[in-house]
Amino acid sequence: MKARFAVIAILAFIGMVDALYLSIKRNAGPIPCHVTRGCTDVLTSRYSEIVGIPISWFGVGFYIVMFSLAAFKVFEDPQYPSHGLTGLIFYLAGAALVISSLLVGIQAFILKAFCEYCLLSAALVLSMFILAPSPARRKLPE
Amino acid sequence: MPKALKPLIVIVLAVAVAAGAAVYLSRQPDRPEETAAPTRADIKGGGHIRGPEKAALTLVEFGDYQCPSCGAYHPLVKEILNRYPQQLRLEFHHFPLVTIHPNSMLASKAAEAAGEQGRYWEMHDALFDHQREWSDSPNAEPIFVALASQMGLDSNKFMQGLRSPQLQDRILQDVEQGQNAKVDAVPTFFINSERVHIKLSMEDFVQVIEAHLPK
Repeated sequence: MKARFAVIAILAFIGMVDALYLSIKRNAGPIPCHVTRGCTDVLTSRYSEIVGIPISWFGVGFYIVMFSLAAFKVFEDPQYPSHGLTGLIFYLAGAALVISSLLVGIQAFILKAFCEYCLLSAALVLSMFILAPSPARRKLPE
Repeated sequence: MPKALKPLIVIVLAVAVAAGAAVYLSRQPDRPEETAAPTRADIKGGGHIRGPEKAALTLVEFGDYQCPSCGAYHPLVKEILNRYPQQLRLEFHHFPLVTIHPNSMLASKAAEAAGEQGRYWEMHDALFDHQREWSDSPNAEPIFVALASQMGLDSNKFMQGLRSPQLQDRILQDVEQGQNAKVDAVPTFFINSERVHIKLSMEDFVQVIEAHLPK
C-alpha cells in the first residue's frame, strides 16, 4: 500500500513542476507547444483564470496538498494507518478529476485547441485517482 | 526525530526542487510552436505603421487586442520604438482569435473606426491599456464608445465605423495575411519578413533588434 502512495507522491511532484512552469510562463509571452497546437490560445483564453487567478496556481496548490498527504501516508506507522488521510486523497483526486475533465472538454469543444501541459496534468490526476485506494473498499477491523 | 518531521522535510524539499525545476525549464530557449511554420514570410501591404517611413527595420506584429500576452507585450513594443526612433517602425496587423476572445473583433473595429478619424494609434494604446476593463465584458461596445469620447472622437462616426463592413474587410485582410504567413498564435513578430521569437523582456527585445540592425 505504501508503494501506491509513493507513486501518487511522484505523480504529484511531476504535477507541481508542470503547474509551476505554466504559472511562470503564462506571464512571460507565448507558451510553446511541442506536441499539441494552441498552448497560448488555451492559456490566454477567458477560461484560463478564475476571479483573476490563473488556474495553474490552483493546480500548484492541489499538487502540493496531494504530495503532502501522500508523503504523510508513506511515512505513517503501518500499525496505525490513518484512514482519514486515505479518504482525503481519494476524494481530492476525484474532485480534481471532475475539474480536469471539464477543462479538457473546454479545450476540445469550445476552444478547439489543446495545451499539452494541461493534458499532462489531466493524465496525472486520472492516474492518481486510479491509484488512490477507495475508502469504501477499506477492510473493516475484525 | 519526531514522526511528523520526516514527511515535512520531504515536502519542503520536494516543493523547493519542483520550484527550481520549473524556473530552470521556463528559462530554456523556446522552440518555435510550429516547427512547420516558415521562418520567413512575405507580408506586403495592409497593417498600420507607427514610426519613420524610411526606418531600416520594420517590426511586424500580428496581434489581438483581447489577448493578455499582446497586452503584456504592448508596453515593451512602445518602449523599443522609443529606444530606436530612427531605425525602427512598427507595422501592426489585426489577428483577432475570435473563437477564444469574443470581444477581439469589435476591439479591432474600434481601432479601425478611430483610425477613420485619424486616431488609430491612440485607440490602439487605449485598448491595450484598458484591456482588463472590457476584456470579459458581455457588452464591450459602450466601453469602446466611452474611450472614443474621452479622445474627443465624433461618437456618431465612431459608431458607424463599428458597423462598417469595409472596416471589417480590412481586418479580415490582415487575418488572411497572417494565415498565409502561418501565424497561429498571438503576438507573432516578424522583423523585415523574418519570423522572430521575442521573450517578454526588454533585454530580449533589444538583443533581437540589435542583431537585425544593419552593421
